[in-house]
Amino acid sequence: MSVADEQFAGLRKGLLEFAILTFVSGRTSAYVGDILEALAPTPFATQEGTLYPLLSKLRREEFVDYQWVESGQGPPRKYYQLTDKGSGRLGELAAYWRHLTSTLETLGR
Amino acid sequence: MERVVTINLNGNSYQLEEPAYDALRAYMTRAEAALGANPDKAEIVRDLEQAIGDKCAGRLSPGKTVVSAIEMTRILEEMGPVEGEAEPGAQQSQGGAAPNHEPYRPARRLYRIYDNGAWTGVSAGMAAYAGLDVAWVRIFWIVSGLFTGGFTCLIYLVMIFAVPVASTSEELAAAHGAPFNAQEVIDRARHEASRFAETSAQSWRREERRWRRSWRRQERHWDAGWGAGAAQAAAAPAQPVGYVERMFAGLFAFVFSIITAALLIAFLIAFFSLLSSGSVLGWTPPGDVPTWLVLVVLAIAYAAISSPFSALQRTSYATLSGRRTGGATDGLATLAIVVLVGAFAWVYSAEARDFIEQGYVVIRDFVTYWSSQG
Repeated sequence: MSVADEQFAGLRKGLLEFAILTFVSGRTSAYVGDILEALAPTPFATQEGTLYPLLSKLRREEFVDYQWVESGQGPPRKYYQLTDKGSGRLGELAAYWRHLTSTLETLGR
Repeated sequence: MERVVTINLNGNSYQLEEPAYDALRAYMTRAEAALGANPDKAEIVRDLEQAIGDKCAGRLSPGKTVVSAIEMTRILEEMGPVEGEAEPGAQQSQGGAAPNHEPYRPARRLYRIYDNGAWTGVSAGMAAYAGLDVAWVRIFWIVSGLFTGGFTCLIYLVMIFAVPVASTSEELAAAHGAPFNAQEVIDRARHEASRFAETSAQSWRREERRWRRSWRRQERHWDAGWGAGAAQAAAAPAQPVGYVERMFAGLFAFVFSIITAALLIAFLIAFFSLLSSGSVLGWTPPGDVPTWLVLVVLAIAYAAISSPFSALQRTSYATLSGRRTGGATDGLATLAIVVLVGAFAWVYSAEARDFIEQGYVVIRDFVTYWSSQG
């Protein structure tokens, strides 16, 4: 697993945006802590240092948006939702992903 | 025993051990470098600070209020390196190094330049900074001084103190500088602010310790013999200091010069009014206390009140000059202010003129008395 971790880092990195959009699409809103926790056991496990810049890029591209929600302890938190544009993007990514995998399957035949 | 640093992370304060603070500072500096020209940089930095703050809070309890160095290392490991947004294709697993961050260029800065015919170098520095002819800047100062009733002269005076002199070739180059855009100014401001916060916190702590040491030494000297310790002033850092430190040292030098001069003037007024009329600002010492004793108490009080300010003033001047001892500049500055204020008072206030004449009479009488005794 650790060898795969090293070797396919670039592959996972490219798909991280896909993974985050997928996760956020599955719920009404997601806090960064939720995203990190959900991704932790998966190959897409990531850290704040990566996630915050990526989320800010996704927001700039209008795929996600956030709202400030008061939290029980500490300062208010940002809760992210998928925008309509984001759902469109996710659809494109999913379609492209299917295209890639089917291409890979047919290539070997 | 660890020193504890209190910091503010996105509006909440936390106490960190000093190595923990250093690690955090280094992490944030790397993060900002990695984010480079990211348009959301400020927001991402705030998010990161909040995430770190949350993690700190998670490790603290009512019985434990300080984040240790080991805990901070863990927190920063959990955070992971901050990755800049490289262009698609250019992005590689660089582990948070700054892939598309431009090297830090020498900033264009306002310096004083002693050029041909420059008196203080303020105008020459401004001309170099703005890319104008120095004559225009000089005309600007004169005209604005006339129109604002001398207010801009005060600004000019402050600038003499606050704007460092360009002494090295690097500084002269920076004084003329390269064209820059707004983003660079913001980046530079952030860079400078963080650097200043980092170095000044250390250097002021260092100064404080040094000052306390010198104060103790001075006290010991006072025990040994009066006035012997007066020469022991707070020493200043011998290493070259940065632009912002010099600017602040200049401002402090200005402020503390005015404070010490004001104290000296207050002392002189009190001293001479006691001698000539036997009272200070309408207050007459009790009849059974001899005047000489009141004068001695006054002198001791003046020495006690003014010595910390003098030490701070000396430190500021020494920081400015970059030498360990500031020479006599600080004392001369104080005297110059006193003489200037005295001259103004002489010209504009009849009362002050009477008072100064009274002081002269007191000194003359004293000298006559002294020589008649001898």
